Amino acid sequence: MTRERKTLRLLALLGFLGVLCPVAGAQSLRLPPHEKFVLKNGLTVLLMEKRGVPLINVFALVKTGAAADPAGQEGLASVTAGLLRKGTKTRTAQQFSADFDYIGGSFGADAGADFTTISAEFLTKDLARGLELFADAVLHPTFPQNETDKILAQSLDGVKSAKDEPQAVLGLYYGGYLYGSHPYGRPSEGDEISLKRIQRDAVVKFYEANYAPGNTILGIAGEFNAAEMRKKLEETLDAWPARTVANTSISAVPPAKGKRLLLIDKPDATQTYFAIGNVGTAVNDPDRVAIRVVNTIFGGRFTSDLNEALRVESGYTYGARSFFDSRKTPGPFEIASFTKNETTTPAIDLALQVLEKLHKNGVTEEQLKSAKSYIKGQFPPTIETSGQLVRRIVVNEYYGLGDDEVNQLETRIDAVTPAIAKQIIEKHFPMDNLVYVLIGNASAIGPAIKKYADKIDQRPISDPGFWPPPAGAQK
Amino acid sequence: MKTVSYRSTALLLLCALGFVSLPVWAQSQQFPVSTRTLKNGMKVLVQPDHSIPNVALYIFYRIGSRNEHPGTTGLSHFFEHMMFNGAKKYGPGDLDKVMEANGGSNNAYTSQNVTVYQDWFPRSALPLIYDIEADRIRDLTFDPKKIASEREVVASERRLSVDNNNFGLLGEQLWASAFLAHTYQWPVVGWMSDIEHWTMDDLKHHFEMGYSPSNATMVVVGDISPEEIFQLCEKYIEPIPSHAPPPPVTTIEPEQLGERRLVVHKPAELPIVMIGYHVAQTNDPDFYALNILRSVLFQGESSRMYQRLVDKDQLALDVSSDVELAFDPTLAIITAQPRQGVDPQACEKAIYEELDKVKGAPISDQELEKAKNGRLVEFYREMRTISGRANTIGTYEVFMGDYNKLFNAAKNYSAVTKEDVQRVVKKYFGANNRTVATLLPENEEKAKQ
Repeated sequence: MTRERKTLRLLALLGFLGVLCPVAGAQSLRLPPHEKFVLKNGLTVLLMEKRGVPLINVFALVKTGAAADPAGQEGLASVTAGLLRKGTKTRTAQQFSADFDYIGGSFGADAGADFTTISAEFLTKDLARGLELFADAVLHPTFPQNETDKILAQSLDGVKSAKDEPQAVLGLYYGGYLYGSHPYGRPSEGDEISLKRIQRDAVVKFYEANYAPGNTILGIAGEFNAAEMRKKLEETLDAWPARTVANTSISAVPPAKGKRLLLIDKPDATQTYFAIGNVGTAVNDPDRVAIRVVNTIFGGRFTSDLNEALRVESGYTYGARSFFDSRKTPGPFEIASFTKNETTTPAIDLALQVLEKLHKNGVTEEQLKSAKSYIKGQFPPTIETSGQLVRRIVVNEYYGLGDDEVNQLETRIDAVTPAIAKQIIEKHFPMDNLVYVLIGNASAIGPAIKKYADKIDQRPISDPGFWPPPAGAQK
Repeated sequence: MKTVSYRSTALLLLCALGFVSLPVWAQSQQFPVSTRTLKNGMKVLVQPDHSIPNVALYIFYRIGSRNEHPGTTGLSHFFEHMMFNGAKKYGPGDLDKVMEANGGSNNAYTSQNVTVYQDWFPRSALPLIYDIEADRIRDLTFDPKKIASEREVVASERRLSVDNNNFGLLGEQLWASAFLAHTYQWPVVGWMSDIEHWTMDDLKHHFEMGYSPSNATMVVVGDISPEEIFQLCEKYIEPIPSHAPPPPVTTIEPEQLGERRLVVHKPAELPIVMIGYHVAQTNDPDFYALNILRSVLFQGESSRMYQRLVDKDQLALDVSSDVELAFDPTLAIITAQPRQGVDPQACEKAIYEELDKVKGAPISDQELEKAKNGRLVEFYREMRTISGRANTIGTYEVFMGDYNKLFNAAKNYSAVTKEDVQRVVKKYFGANNRTVATLLPENEEKAKQ
């Protein structure tokens, strides 16, 4: 029963994983020192001592994610990750939970498009136990049949539950409509059809093929002694047998041509949720800093052009934003908002006008100054805790980005000029070629939205799957 | 992509009080809080932390939807939005623009009990933030055009979080049914027809009623010294005159004398069950035992309810519990989402059976220990960021009456016994004291007919 004024803050901060910036003022912020070494079996380890709170954060990244799911078995990487804690050589799922909960620890595993992550947090005093539990899940999962069946059935109901909340599934439809059959178009947690096709054998195979020390980066941050930690890791993790992992490459998708629109019909919706955009950028795009600065102005903060127009000035919505979900190869860029049925086209028209204005007018010196100051000022709380830090250094390591990503960013941000911004807008903010996804009440909004695209697709939200419709999806 | 931030903040707030244990922090960490009460009655709490060059400033006003009346429900929340829409020096839109241009950001939330304003900024923006805060506390203005557009924004917020969110919708109906008399019965966001009809006079009256400096507590944590904060307060905040606080809420909810049930029919993929039990307010001594009970039942995958409903019987996709921070007796709400094809009443039955088990036999020593350990780690989680600490200090000061109780929470949790846990489950979780709300998917019902 708490109502908040803004939705933007967290969205903006969460969105820029891998696109980092330094702090305002004279005091430049730097990543705390950390060390890197490689165990004999090929496991890359990053250690960062951070004093102040007696907690330890462990974060492992397996360099294979949902993009490697076989077509038709979407959700495989995610289910595999979910099953790590559901039975090991020495513990049942219930024992694992009981042991972790007893020390007040937390454990999570999840597959994104590019990679899988496994994270744990516990008190420094419980280091031995916490680390042993973490290693048990990652190294010795047994994937019991009954637990596999259970998690698949739960995941399937999870998809259904998400469809009751348009905001929760807009990105899944948008990704699918934008990328089609490309791996980035797959729903990382699967859909109602694909989850029924996944067998235990496929899970075991996926684990064996991808969970190998040479394919993993392990980071630990918090209150501990690095030398002792290194020794401990060498004792426990050197036994993880080296294994060759097939290189999964993800092809880069060129931006979509033309204009197309997917309408997902939710007959009881009183509000239309929309995403508009095209293929965006890769994490290591040389323009990434300038893109972040420009996007802050366009749709990345409360006073952004989009939110000013759609919320502050017109009252069409509670929030409007734009967002680059940068990945190994170009990930999606989207403009997203929602508005009541009656103002669906006025709100979309306005969003397009804001985009046109960005292209026509570029950004002013004053806007740039404000955005630079904003990004710098809001950055330090994003590297405040050991949990945030360990994730950042491990993900940067995966993408081949060094500490300069943080340590040099103030300089890089300052280098952005209106002329550079103009080039960035032309190159990275699509205008003539756009993909639209709307979730809403088709009978209330249907005819008016035809003007946005030459090609219109439509399907009910209750039909299984997202987009493209999976084979056998007709109800 | 499930990132509606009001949720995470609500969670943060719950964690602040819900998950606190043992005095390890207080003993092993430097945690000095300096306090001063300004001449106009506003209390200021300051805690320096120089680990990052930033500051979190929270202002808690003791006013929320419980201070409202039928016809103007949601006014506190709407007013919170208007606090960003122009004052004498910083006109409409200026506040956000100036703050962001100086590296700062802000937000605010409204609950049944409080309205909280939050600023996060680099220390270089420090005097500016005080100038902005003083301006809007002293000289807020109401532009009719802004009122009209902000009304639409709030309506959109309501559509997002209630009308198109089944959990939000069912929760609203539950509160409305569980409370007959007390003002907790209406939603913080307000009924849609009230959102459409607030007037400028309503807003002005609300400002006069709730926004006296004496009705507020300011918490500042970060790269600052207490002296500089107190100097800024003397310059910017202290001259603002105080006036009468909101009239007390005198209505006491009469005891519930039997189970209440309600159903919401709606197109949906999955049903939802919510069960609300009347429980004591936050500053009641039962608070700690109730939280230990909730840990045993709901915290982690080894908890009793998770093991029973999600894992063993596979009745629910998820099961959880919430208790609002509250000045008056409130609700403990159990929420479960039944799996596809599972009768919601089967979830209900399993929940009641698990409650009965705790009534019938004390929890184990191991469970008690686990619950206390879990709360210790949650405490560190909450206290490790400057914003988490600002929120926690303010929460204890406002809801427990004294921030120092933060340091006693540990002792209070470790004092909880198995018998206490059994006593509170018997006291609050009985059939006569519950309201059961069920959301039934319309499509499924039609298929059955």
